[in-house]
Amino acid sequence: MSAIIETKDLVKRYGKFAAVNGLSLAVPEGSIYGFVGPNGAGKTTTMRVLTTLTRPTSGMAWIAGHSVTDQPRAVRRAIGYMPDEFGVYDDMRVWEYLDFFAACYDIPENERRPLINDLLELVDLSHRREDLVDKLSRGMKQRLSLARTLAHDPQVLILDEPASGLDPRARVEIRELLLELAKMGKTIFFSSHILADVAEICTHIGIIEAGQMVMQGSIDEMRAQLTPHREIVITVRSAEIAETVQSLLAGAPDVIGVEVLEPRSGRWRVRVDFTGDDDGVAALNQRLTAAAVPILGFTEETKDLESMFMRVTKGAVT
Amino acid sequence: MYEDAGIVGWADAPGEALTPREARLERAASALRWGALANGGLIAVLLLLAFLGGVRAVPGLFSALHSALLGAAALADDAALATVIVLTLLNTSLLLVLMVGVLARELWALVGLWLLAAANAAALLLAGFTPGVVTAGAAAWAGAVAARDARAFRLNPVMVRELRGRMRGARAFVVLTVYLGLMSGFTVLLYLFYTATQITGSAASGAVGRVLFVGLVGIELLLIIFIAPAFTAGAIAGERERQTYDLLRTTLLASPSFVIGKLESALGYILLLLFSAIPLQSIAFLFGGVNTAEIVLAFVILTATAITLGTVGIYFSAITPRALTASLRAYAAALAITFGVPLLASLPLFNAFVGAAGGYGSGISGSPVVEAAFIYAGLFLVSLNPIATALITQQLLIDRQVVGFWTVTLSSDGSTIPLVSPWISFTVACLAISTALVVLAVRRMRRPAREAR
Repeated sequence: MSAIIETKDLVKRYGKFAAVNGLSLAVPEGSIYGFVGPNGAGKTTTMRVLTTLTRPTSGMAWIAGHSVTDQPRAVRRAIGYMPDEFGVYDDMRVWEYLDFFAACYDIPENERRPLINDLLELVDLSHRREDLVDKLSRGMKQRLSLARTLAHDPQVLILDEPASGLDPRARVEIRELLLELAKMGKTIFFSSHILADVAEICTHIGIIEAGQMVMQGSIDEMRAQLTPHREIVITVRSAEIAETVQSLLAGAPDVIGVEVLEPRSGRWRVRVDFTGDDDGVAALNQRLTAAAVPILGFTEETKDLESMFMRVTKGAVT
Repeated sequence: MYEDAGIVGWADAPGEALTPREARLERAASALRWGALANGGLIAVLLLLAFLGGVRAVPGLFSALHSALLGAAALADDAALATVIVLTLLNTSLLLVLMVGVLARELWALVGLWLLAAANAAALLLAGFTPGVVTAGAAAWAGAVAARDARAFRLNPVMVRELRGRMRGARAFVVLTVYLGLMSGFTVLLYLFYTATQITGSAASGAVGRVLFVGLVGIELLLIIFIAPAFTAGAIAGERERQTYDLLRTTLLASPSFVIGKLESALGYILLLLFSAIPLQSIAFLFGGVNTAEIVLAFVILTATAITLGTVGIYFSAITPRALTASLRAYAAALAITFGVPLLASLPLFNAFVGAAGGYGSGISGSPVVEAAFIYAGLFLVSLNPIATALITQQLLIDRQVVGFWTVTLSSDGSTIPLVSPWISFTVACLAISTALVVLAVRRMRRPAREAR
């Protein structure tokens, strides 16, 4: 996978203050890239540079191979941008809003009508076609905004905090929509400080703090990097079996510790701290099966992003 | 850097690759720009020659120029030269307007190119207007290039959006009704006042008609002075405040299209107001004393004023971050233009022209060259001001039935010099100033805004 968005040592200073300070990132084509960081970390500034709205102080950025400073029009053709603020024109109907932006992308009038229908259907707003834009709920506005970014069928979507300020239902809808768009082959680069959202849909993550990339990579790599040991929880029916499991696994290779947890709803659980790889996990499972221990469940607990995030960011928010 | 990237083309960065279509249209625009430059150079040469001929440095110069530049027109030699200069000025302005129109990909530009080419070709064939070759050539070449990409020309999306919003629902019609109601009320008041002040009640009905007409046009002019800058001053600054400006800047909408669209939507509404008041102006016909030429010329002057003040608003909107500040600055500029310039009436050159127009002499004697210079400078000054233009145009129309050209007999030596009615020079000046302001606004928009955090 080649990088469709790339920055190299990107710096943006406002006076003495460096909002982005030597940021290098690479977003593979077709990925859903979560750009995570605390407020004020430089996420929006980075996006403004990528969308040609702000000139970087130094450093380079490319989208689909076009430099954002030297080829701004080519970049604009390749991207759809959704800022964190929804720009409202009062006195505008939903279809007119899309019609206007489609016209701004040079889409001829006779192609706009079917296009608008398709877009409205995609974001599930067909029934609000004739409504005034400022009468829509925030979630609907956000979906309309997303439809707008798709008008010219861009390769890359750059979305600034697409889920902020939405109720849980609207958030789920946006998430579904993003997955749908990724299936259509779009690369999605979005920022968030809501880590749960990022973890659930992203293929790649970049963590930024104080204008610098703390770490980035595919979500699996990040997990492996951030969680040096794995946690396996084995569920069994009784305390005796739990102890058997404990004694069986305690001496296994790469196992750091085995602990019997408090029983939950009549089931006993054994937690295994493990530093091995996938083969090792399989070996543990086989060891139990070979000893004919009746187990109900064998699951690897995924460490959530929240704890990863807390671990890598030092809280040095500017 | 950004500022140096073309004049008003699409490229936002130097050396940026354009699509083939964009490159072609940019070439068409640049042909128009060169045509305008050539015309500008021609004007400079003609003015120099006019000066030489005027001071009689070269005998027979005017008649030679007449036969060379406007051979087939039966005019006095000096009037012919004045005509050529005015037509060339008009060509320059129109070429620049069309250049901006092509860059903004306006449908009217596509049509306008061919009209301009045809008009110049006709002038060449019928009146022997040889300088028209430059304009006809540039316009026809650009027109041919543009016709190939006719699909790129469209209704301006910004204008469509603004007009949709503005004309929606009852509001627009209520505003129009209230406006016409007030205008009608004003007309009635004017009529009552005027007839009441005539002691015998036998006021000549022609005079009543004229008072009503002048009163209405005056009110419309005031209205334009207050509405035109307000409509456009919020254009760019307002989009910034609504946070829609960034959205637009990430689309492919080019800055010229944006500026022209805003201008068109403001002018569209102002023209609606002007058109809807024409029947009211025509009441003056019932009383007599006003002819169609006056109504048409009043409309031209009002429109030219609206265009200029609209672009003044756009310009300040582009250079000012906040809509309110932009409005204040635009108003200050509009007031300076409309009311500040007449304050210069105390200057001798203004008086010289007004005196000459009034037929009681320029009041300057001695050198005929100085006197002529004063009168032309006065015409130039008047041409920058809608009120002075309107008044003097009307005076010429009524006193001398002059619509276009007229002559002044110099009090210094009794020779005559040719002049144009101020509405012509005013319109040309308005087009030139507006185009310049649009270009400046576009260049300013292209510069990345000073971002605050």
